[in-house]
Parts: sequence; C-alpha cells; structure tokens
Amino acid sequence: MEGLGINLPSLLAQIVNFAILLGILYLVAYKPIMRMLDERSRRIKESMEQTEEIKQQVEKAEEEFKKRIEQAGRKGQEIIDQAVLTGEEVGQKVRAEAKKEAEALLARARAEIRRERDEVIDELRQEFADLTILAAGKVIEQSLDKEAHRQLIDRVLEESTELKKG
Amino acid sequence: MPERRILGVRRPFFFGIIVLLLALGVISLLSGALGRSFLGDIGLPSWLIVESPQPQLPPEEIFSVLGFSITNTMLTAWLTIAILGGIFYAATRKMKLVPSRLQTMLEAAIGWLLSFCEDIAGKENGRRFFPLVATLFLFVLANAWLSLFPGYGSILVTNAHGETVHLLRGANTDINLPLALALTSFVMVEYWGLKSVGVFRYLKKFFNAGRFIGGVRQVFRGKVKEGLGGLVNGAIDVFIGFIELLSEFVRILSFTFRLFGNMTGGEILLLMMLFLAPFVLAIPFYGLELLVGFIQALIFGGLTLVFATIAVTPHTEEAH
Repeated sequence: MEGLGINLPSLLAQIVNFAILLGILYLVAYKPIMRMLDERSRRIKESMEQTEEIKQQVEKAEEEFKKRIEQAGRKGQEIIDQAVLTGEEVGQKVRAEAKKEAEALLARARAEIRRERDEVIDELRQEFADLTILAAGKVIEQSLDKEAHRQLIDRVLEESTELKKG
Repeated sequence: MPERRILGVRRPFFFGIIVLLLALGVISLLSGALGRSFLGDIGLPSWLIVESPQPQLPPEEIFSVLGFSITNTMLTAWLTIAILGGIFYAATRKMKLVPSRLQTMLEAAIGWLLSFCEDIAGKENGRRFFPLVATLFLFVLANAWLSLFPGYGSILVTNAHGETVHLLRGANTDINLPLALALTSFVMVEYWGLKSVGVFRYLKKFFNAGRFIGGVRQVFRGKVKEGLGGLVNGAIDVFIGFIELLSEFVRILSFTFRLFGNMTGGEILLLMMLFLAPFVLAIPFYGLELLVGFIQALIFGGLTLVFATIAVTPHTEEAH
C-alpha cells in the first residue's frame, strides 16, 4: 500500500474534493443548463403545437369562408328569383288594375252615352209631341185643349215600346 | 495568378515549418537517449539533454498544513476543480435562450451526457444518476487533459524536506483519486440499489439461502430425494450470491486500477518518449493520451451508470 501511495488523509481529501466539484458543477452547470435545455425543448414543442393549431385554424377558416361564399351565392340567387317573381306579380297586378280601370271607364262611358241618348230621346219626344199637336191643330183647324192632347199623346207614346228608354 | 496555398498558409511558409519540424526531429534524435546511445556524446549543449525520468507512484508532498501534506496531485485536483467551475460559471452566468458560443459548447457537452444517461438508465433514473456520472466524467477527463499541458511534470520545486519535487502532476496518477472516485461510485450505486429496490429485496441478491434452508427442512422431514435437489440448487444460489457480492467489491478495485494504471502508464509513456527524443516525435503520443483520457472518463462514468441501472432494476425471481 505504501508503494502505491494510498493514504487515508489523501483519500478522504479527494473524496471531499470530488464532493465539492459535484456541488459546484451542480450549481453552475447541471441545474442551469438542464433547466435551459428543458425550457428550450418545451418552447420548441409549444411552438410546434402552436403551428399545428394555427394550421388547423387556417384550414377551418378557409372551409368556413368557402361555405360562406357558397351561402352568399345561394342567397343572391334566391333574392334574384324573388325579385323576378315579385316583378312578375307587380306586373300582373298593374295589368289587372289597368284592365279594371279601363273597364270602369268603359262602363262609365257607356252609362254616359245611354244617359245622353235618353235625354236626346226625351227631347225628341217632347218636340215630336209639340209638333204633333201643332200639326193636328193645323189639320183640324181648331185649338184643342192643349193639356188634354198632351196627355193623349204621352199615353200613345208610352204604349209604343220602340222609343222606350233603354 | 493567385498564390498557391497549402493547408491555408503560403507555400514557402508551409515548407519552412516542415523543414523546422524535420530539423527539430533530427536534433531530438541526436540529443535524446536514442541518439546518444548510438552515436555517443557529440557535444550538444547540456540544456538539450533530457535526464532519465525516475517515475514513482506515490505523489510528492509540496508543503504541509497542520500536519496534513498537500501533494502535487492534490494541487492539480484543485486546479481542475477551479478550471471546471470557472468555465461553467462563465458559461452559465448569463444564460440566454439563444446561446453564446461558449454556452452552446458546454450545453452540447452537458446535453450529450444527459442523453447518454437517459438512454441507458431511462428518463427518470437517468436524471437521478446524471450529476454523479457527469461529474465523474468531467473530473476524470479534465484531470487527464490538463496533465498534457506543458508545466505538468516539468516545474520543479523544493519542498520542506529539502527534496526537489514536481509542482504539478496529473491528478489521475495519484491512486488516492481513482480510489476516492471508485468508493464514491460504489457507495452511491449501493445506496440507489437499496433505496429503489428495498433493503431486503436488494440484499437477497447476495444472500439467497431460501432454497438451501428449504432443502435442509425437507431432508429432516424425511423427503431425502426432494431435499437433496433443494440442497444442491440452494447451494448454487448461495454460491452465486457470494460471487455477486464479491463482484460488487471487485468493481472498486477494477475502477481504481483501470484509471490509475492507464493514466500512470500514459504519463510514463510520455516521459519516456520525451527522454528518448525530446522534440516532435512525442507529439503522436500526446494525441494518443487525449484519446485515452476521453475513453477512461467515458468508461468511469459509463460503468457507474450501468452499475447503478443494474442496481435499481428489481431482481426478478426466475420461474421454477
């Protein structure tokens, strides 16, 4: 043992040295470097996960966007169809109204015509009666009781249906 | 026309260096022990002559404090500790997520050691063993590589006893240091084994007399045939346990002498080469010693790791 140089104090001192070195390295090397390595790998993992997440989000957003566009297209078509329909309806309504109005106008015009004709007929009858009385007076040369004659003629006219108010 | 360059230096410069190295090699052959034994003394100045080294195994005392002798290997161990601590302190003082050059380098080293531990012992146990394994590796490696610096083994001082001694000597070449490391490794391995597996289950690996006692019982009950079988198997168990126990302790010796022998041998090899041919020709052996230092450090750390892994793995009963 002496030849090799083993002695207890040196041995103990070297064990202590080693323990001290372990302590120092633990404090200045292992702990901070391991923390840093872990931190870095954590960050890398995190950012990779984030990338994945963002990718998924983008995909989802794109899908959503496509869906929206499709929806919007469909809706636009619908609105156009609706408008066409409404237009047709409105047209029909307008046409119907115009027709009605025209008919009403026509009816009124007809009524007017009839009224005027009646008036004319009345007038004619009046004149005819007067003329008749006059003519009869002339023919018989005597003045008839004017009132009695009128009544007579009116009765005759009433009986004849051809000149009745229509 | 661009200048021709060899290995990044101008051609004349390169050949100058080659010539210088050759000249140094010739001088070293002449002044070394080899040349002198063949040619005799040819009148070279005395400062070129390297004296025959007288290697001795025990470290030399430089001075003593309160009766405790500070040897040259103790001094270099402290130097190693200071240098390792200093480098790592400088690298980790201001740690950044985007690291500096030094930080990257040491982080790579530590990361390599950490993944080495985790690969062999598993994630959790690897982290548990890591500080010891890494410290063993770094300490042995730094001791080995620092002892290759000039100044180790060449600065002479006179100590209190009037002897002329080397001021610095590779710390690994003092048997106390490998022994201290081996004992530490042994104690920690056994501690981890006892703690993880449980005291009784762990010790059962070494003192496994269960089947032997069972065999004795059966013999006394008169079942001689079965009893004898139990006795034989039990005896084998006991014997294997004894060998296992012995091998645990033999590890201390093998750890100690492997490192001590390699490092001391390497140092003596370098001294002898310097003695035989002082310049140039010893350079390859320095390269060899770099490799040996690395391998020894890796073996010391790696074996400790493997032994610790074996110790914490529960000893499963074989099915009978």
